[in-house]
Amino acid sequence: MSENLLSETQLARLEQLLGAARTVTDPASLTAYEVDGMLPAAAVRPADAAEVAELVRAAAAEKLAVIPCSGRSKLSIGGVPARYDVALDLSALNRLVSYDPGDLTLSVEPGVRIQDLQRELGQHGQFLPLEVAFSDRATVGGAIATNAYSPLRAHFGSARDFVLGMEFVTGLGEIAKSGGRVVKNVTGYDLHKLLIGSLGTLAVITRVHFRTFPRPAERRVFTAAFDKARAAHEFCRAVAASPLEPRAIEMLNPGAAEISGLAAQAAADARAWRVVIAAAGSAAVVGRHARDLERMAREAGAANFEAWSGADAAKPLRAIREFVRLALERSASAVILRIAVLPASAAALAENLAVIAGAHDLDAALAVGSAGSAGTGYVALWPRSESRADAVTDEAQASFASAVKELLEAAGSGGAPARAFVECCPTALKRRISLWGAAREDFELMQRVKKIFDPHGVLAPGRYCGGL
Amino acid sequence: MCTCLQGAERRGARDAGGVALTPPRGEDYSGARARFSRDCAHKSLNPKLIRELQNLLGRDAVLFAREDLLLYEYDGSVEIARPECVVFPSSTREVSEIMRLAKRYETPLVGRGAGTGLSGGALPRAGGIVAVFSRMNRILEIDAESRRAVVQPGVVNLDITRAVEHLGLYFAPDPSSQKSCTIGGNVSENAGGPHTLAYGVTTNHVTGLEIVLPDDGRVVRIGGKTAEPLGYDLTGLMVGSEGTLAIVTEITVRLSRKPEAVKTLLAVYDAVDDATESVVEITRRGITPAACEMLDGWTLRTVEDFVHAGFPRDCAAVLLLEVEGLAEAAEEQAAEISEVCRAHGAREVRLARDARERDLLWKGRKNAFGAIGRLSPSYYVLDGVIPRTRLPATLRRIEEIGRAYGFRIGNIFHAGDGNLHPLILFDPRNAGEFERVVAAAREIIQYCIAMGGALTGEHGVGMEKNELMPLMFTPEDLALMARVRDAFNPDALLNPQKILPLGKGCGELRVLPQTAASALPA
Repeated sequence: MSENLLSETQLARLEQLLGAARTVTDPASLTAYEVDGMLPAAAVRPADAAEVAELVRAAAAEKLAVIPCSGRSKLSIGGVPARYDVALDLSALNRLVSYDPGDLTLSVEPGVRIQDLQRELGQHGQFLPLEVAFSDRATVGGAIATNAYSPLRAHFGSARDFVLGMEFVTGLGEIAKSGGRVVKNVTGYDLHKLLIGSLGTLAVITRVHFRTFPRPAERRVFTAAFDKARAAHEFCRAVAASPLEPRAIEMLNPGAAEISGLAAQAAADARAWRVVIAAAGSAAVVGRHARDLERMAREAGAANFEAWSGADAAKPLRAIREFVRLALERSASAVILRIAVLPASAAALAENLAVIAGAHDLDAALAVGSAGSAGTGYVALWPRSESRADAVTDEAQASFASAVKELLEAAGSGGAPARAFVECCPTALKRRISLWGAAREDFELMQRVKKIFDPHGVLAPGRYCGGL
Repeated sequence: MCTCLQGAERRGARDAGGVALTPPRGEDYSGARARFSRDCAHKSLNPKLIRELQNLLGRDAVLFAREDLLLYEYDGSVEIARPECVVFPSSTREVSEIMRLAKRYETPLVGRGAGTGLSGGALPRAGGIVAVFSRMNRILEIDAESRRAVVQPGVVNLDITRAVEHLGLYFAPDPSSQKSCTIGGNVSENAGGPHTLAYGVTTNHVTGLEIVLPDDGRVVRIGGKTAEPLGYDLTGLMVGSEGTLAIVTEITVRLSRKPEAVKTLLAVYDAVDDATESVVEITRRGITPAACEMLDGWTLRTVEDFVHAGFPRDCAAVLLLEVEGLAEAAEEQAAEISEVCRAHGAREVRLARDARERDLLWKGRKNAFGAIGRLSPSYYVLDGVIPRTRLPATLRRIEEIGRAYGFRIGNIFHAGDGNLHPLILFDPRNAGEFERVVAAAREIIQYCIAMGGALTGEHGVGMEKNELMPLMFTPEDLALMARVRDAFNPDALLNPQKILPLGKGCGELRVLPQTAASALPA
């Protein structure tokens, strides 16, 4: 593990800003902030936006590279940092700044854990549609900065659809904001949208304004098992074309069903494809979903159809939400891709995946949401044979690298191109493959944006597309 | 600090003044218009540029005679600014070439759809070329399975729905002007509409764009058909940037599936407060109607005289509510809304019996501004947002402000999301009246912001409210926005003098002075 050293004066400057108690420098404690095998020379824990701004200004002046973090559940996402001097730990920015249940609006700091926030909102019969991985640790800032996958996006959209505005600190140490706190607003440029999914490379998020949503009276989850990908896909299409309004609809290949434990739980063939659908609303609305879905599943040739209610209802959705964690538990050397695919090519992608993975002696898991709109989801690949599980041999790396390349190419070809990027993989592999696929024509515009927000490359340099 | 004023805007600025919320000092409204016309009349483009435009586009696609230009000096706002030349591109390549010519001749370029905008977004504030997109009005692709359509900017909003409704799909954003406004304008202004309460505004329904960059006319595609942006969300930045960052030449929109059931309700009230309290309670209960519109009694009577929608003439306010979705959900929500409205003093809750009745109610709502236009020589439609719980207090305050200034203020607005449209009737022929309208409007907007709201919910900032931006944003916020603008539009040739305060000096950047009637309540 490489270590980073700051000069005495640089350290003194950081300590002077926050005091020694909030400046961590001992190597043992710093291991918690490791990113792709790199340790920072210090971790600092500011308490508010003003302190964040001071720290970023100090870092800019000293030409230090800063990576913002909080729950540290998603630090494996992104390229190997070009430099990493200071971990900017935002866990002390954990206040619920304002919450107006009557208006269904909320302002929070980035270090608030999503689990805690959902509990608070639940007391007022509301929630945020952020069902993200590592839910026990994940924070608002991380979920937004990584645009974390949530199976509920089929119904509620992604963060860009329910984040109303943000306050943030740019790479120049300016505190700025965009958007607002009301549910409808077109005042000024929507700069905050740029920060969603930017991995902290543009600005440090210090406050997020959300719209919240009422909790439904009832929730039920349905799973249907199919022998073939095509049949599962046809079922998804039928649901999308129906008047039903599911909260989530996800197609899982046998590998995904296996790692999630769904294969063992449900009374169906372990090699089956599964479709998981969440319905919510009044008893009548949920009942209608139950009736219609069962009929549609039968018509699509489902081998099995199950309804999960009460405490069990959370299980299948949890399996999807925690896809990344489950894949990593299955194999520490798993390569996990985030994919965006049009419904028309989802089945083709699923079939390509099996062929490509098989040719490289890899196992594959796929979970893709596809409710009527363009689908998004995950693919995980890991070595079939245990002897290769460490994935450090050149041969294993080469095999992963070409599988990922082929998959990205397959996903990106044809009239309805899919997009994919590697969200998570062993560091050694990160150095060998392009995590982001081929360069795109708008890259020069992304460079302009980076230059506006962080001209000196202080914030998470090297972590984003094309080394931004 | 004065950083938000630096950069290209200032360099590219030609003095063309401004009206509405940033009135010309010491001149009445008619004077302002006259001054504008004079200013614009003497400007004319370099004849060489006009010849080059004619060679590029053909003679019939270039207008420069004064009588032709007069048609393009207005939009739906109270602003006015005359172009020196109007062009009608037919393709992305032509737009790119026009941009290059504008750059070479250092001439401002402003895009225009149907000219229905309400904040002067399509007006050439610094003169120059206006590019009208009426010839780029083709729907290029409909992908029913992925629920996407790829369209040119000149396509009329409602025509997208018309083209896909046989597939059970529609385009959700529905501004009142949807029969004439274009998708290009909707994208520039991030347009809303009554049904955005449940479904979101334009930005939630656009996944990709083709844009022409102002610095070199380069054509770039951003976003795409898939829902997830890979890379910074440039599409999210472009939508609502009011044509100041790039020219949009192609749009990929998300299509929505038509709901199984729609129920439209009209709740009738004898007191405005009862109507607004009903909205607060509907929101608080977590019911999300597809639309929740309010019309006050005066507006309603005016509309009824014109549209004959069957609105009651003797009430203080109505709520026009719509619920959609599965038959079961629509049924239950309609019943619950009905119960809330009655509990809050509605004297009657009507349910539209069929599509004809429903269409009639909506016809009344969507033609309201036209109806009011019959009554008054002029009117000014404001656009402000408040947290929904503040609705009752805010409407009372608007009423007070109207009384203090001696204006009739009508209210017809998107109550469900707190997006107000106070409508001030005035006669611009009366000396000083427009200035008082501006002062009253500013007080209302300041009140909205003091309530935690926003400067504009759907009409945009444009040249109407750019000097009010400091009410919502700090100099640092505005400086960053200016850097973004300058990075994309470095010579300020594209739609100059919009959105950001021009601020001729630091003093003018500060919050505008309090006006007549009263200061803001604490």
